[in-house]
Amino acid sequence: MAPGLTRDAEESRLNYAAHTRYWRRNLKTFLPRQYTGNDCNRMTLAAFILSALDILGDLPAALSREERAGYIDWVYSCQLPEGGFRPAPATDLGAARTPKNQIWDPFHVAGTFFALLILITLGDGLENVKRREILQWLTKLQRPDGGFGETLGEQDRVEGGNDSRFGFMVAAVRWMLRGNLEGPVDGVPDIDVDAFVRCVQAAESYDGGLSEAPYHEAHGGFTSCAISALFFLDRLPTKNPDGRQRGLRNLPMTLHWLASRQTLTIDEEDAAETYSDETDSAATCDDSHSFMKLHNYPSMRGKLSFERQPPVHAEIKWVGMNGRENKIGDTCYAYWVCAPLKLLGHLDIIDPKPIRRWLLDRTQHLVGGFGKLPGDHPDPQHSFLGLMVLSMFGEAGLQNVDTALCITERAKDHLESLPWRRKLLGSDSIGEA
Amino acid sequence: MPASDDATYYHDDPAWGDVQPLAQDDGALHPLASIAYTDEYSEAMGYLRAVMAANEYSERVLALTEHIISMNPAHYTVWLYRAKALRETGADLAREIAWLNPTALQHLKNYQIWHHRQTIVDALGSPAGEADFIATMLEQDSKNYHVWSYRQWLVQRFDLFASDDELRWTEAMIDDDVRNNSAWNHRWFLVVGGHGGRMESPRLAERELEYAKYAIRKAPQNQSPWNYIKGVVRAAGMPLSTLTSFALEFADMHRPDDIYSSHALDLLADIYADEEGSKEEAKKALDLLASRFDPIRAHYWNYRKALLEVPETAA
Repeated sequence: MAPGLTRDAEESRLNYAAHTRYWRRNLKTFLPRQYTGNDCNRMTLAAFILSALDILGDLPAALSREERAGYIDWVYSCQLPEGGFRPAPATDLGAARTPKNQIWDPFHVAGTFFALLILITLGDGLENVKRREILQWLTKLQRPDGGFGETLGEQDRVEGGNDSRFGFMVAAVRWMLRGNLEGPVDGVPDIDVDAFVRCVQAAESYDGGLSEAPYHEAHGGFTSCAISALFFLDRLPTKNPDGRQRGLRNLPMTLHWLASRQTLTIDEEDAAETYSDETDSAATCDDSHSFMKLHNYPSMRGKLSFERQPPVHAEIKWVGMNGRENKIGDTCYAYWVCAPLKLLGHLDIIDPKPIRRWLLDRTQHLVGGFGKLPGDHPDPQHSFLGLMVLSMFGEAGLQNVDTALCITERAKDHLESLPWRRKLLGSDSIGEA
Repeated sequence: MPASDDATYYHDDPAWGDVQPLAQDDGALHPLASIAYTDEYSEAMGYLRAVMAANEYSERVLALTEHIISMNPAHYTVWLYRAKALRETGADLAREIAWLNPTALQHLKNYQIWHHRQTIVDALGSPAGEADFIATMLEQDSKNYHVWSYRQWLVQRFDLFASDDELRWTEAMIDDDVRNNSAWNHRWFLVVGGHGGRMESPRLAERELEYAKYAIRKAPQNQSPWNYIKGVVRAAGMPLSTLTSFALEFADMHRPDDIYSSHALDLLADIYADEEGSKEEAKKALDLLASRFDPIRAHYWNYRKALLEVPETAA
């Protein structure tokens, strides 16, 4: 067994105390220098840290009043004079910043999305957020094909790859700041929602998953982001057509693809033992770990999981989730696959129990957090998404989460209670749809 | 943080004597997600902010951005700044590619580097040498998403859809690992994507069906060619039942001990579900999947079974 694995022979258990210690350490001490490559993702890491502590129910205990105010100040220190948030102080040119050089410190969609999540989680009212300006920026990030970029370069050129992560964050920011309203609001134009929906449809693959661009390979992360974006825009498929353009042209195929992401290939040994194996049999090929004839055990791991147990399917112990066909299970895909299923109202087509056991027994780490694969050190992304999924599954001791926003329901309720937002959406009088 | 021996510094370099670095302002008393930077990184970033603030485009700026990228390749504006510096200094773009090659190998999961490479190769106007570089990258990870996406950009930019070389290369990748879904998808990208999502001719559809069948016979429990073959049938406007006899090769439901592919059962369930009077067969296939051949997806197969009971109009 790889070092660092937690294994409890009796019962899979969330090591609540270790997770709390892990996240408090990330909050209160410097991240090691190996995180230098994430220097421009600090807002993302910070959102994971605070939201994780909130999910654990530890936020009130972890923060003094002064610290809470201090963190809010820090986020606002990353707000750009033109509106929006930089994702880290790294690009801040300080007093030297001028209209001539501010293109090196531009509006950034991830910086803005995660800054808002942090402010909401910390209970800020967003009164000091340049909300109109942000909504204006969002329209500038849209490309002619309907998709969105990451940031803006010279002459407002949209920069960054084709990537539904950006569309997801744009849709989420739009929802946070103006709810489901379509069309201009307070004189600020809307993004072209129909064009975005068409862009998502064009990225639907022949296998039912979604990719980053037309005819590219389907991928769990892009599938999740695209479906979450449609959710924020209220453009998921409905049973009764309402004349609006809606995403996902073939829902049954997308559900098939999502269900197919469950795999028994969950550690390197499983993957290695079938690599380049051309003489296929039920017992040797990669995804054949899911193909279980009785008495024809899928792999050493699978065999161990069956020993001394009746060979019936209810006893499958660990099931991982992968992001693409014939890939190994990976903690973060538990979220990227379960989130769209939940938003589509079909989380019931998977069995959460063996997925939960896989997370708790195999990728949960002794020091808290989750690694990507069994035996891997924990990192904030996998640790956060692991907690998200467990909460979505109803893990005892965790706060309820909002699947698409990746914050607790408590934090989302706070956002929806803000007076400026209620006024904008008319929810004071008629109640929000 | 103590410096390593081969660290690069600027403060005592006469070539940088005219630049006053801009130290990072961490914003507040309580910064979030602070990183224990090395002195080397902190200092280099200070010089980067200073030259960015001055909009300087020069040889030394190129060297500095190279240095920053080696430590933080995910810095989103350093790449844009470098691209502009290359343009402004009229730099040799072939040299840029020569530098990018080993840099990409060091940062396999970074994606900004691919956007940059597209910018450079677009400006060079030729895909020469790119296939070799891609082969080197795929030796590290034959399913690297960024690399395949970049290949697709190349095909689009230089209109290589109809190139025999491109299709042959894709076949070689599939030969090498028949479960490489990225390679299967690339074939789809060439054959169908290149024609606006349609199968151009019945002959082409036939060729693709035969190709996928050959791969499935080699490895019947491989989901990639099964997804592919269903895609071909759909794109060609054929009924799914075109594949009935082929699926039965791997899953004769009357001999459950000789079933070789859960994907064949899955396909048969779909075919029978649409056929008049075959609901029982569909149910049987789904039962076999849920109870015996693919129990990890039992909830899904049971859901599909429940759909069989739903009257057509409500489905």
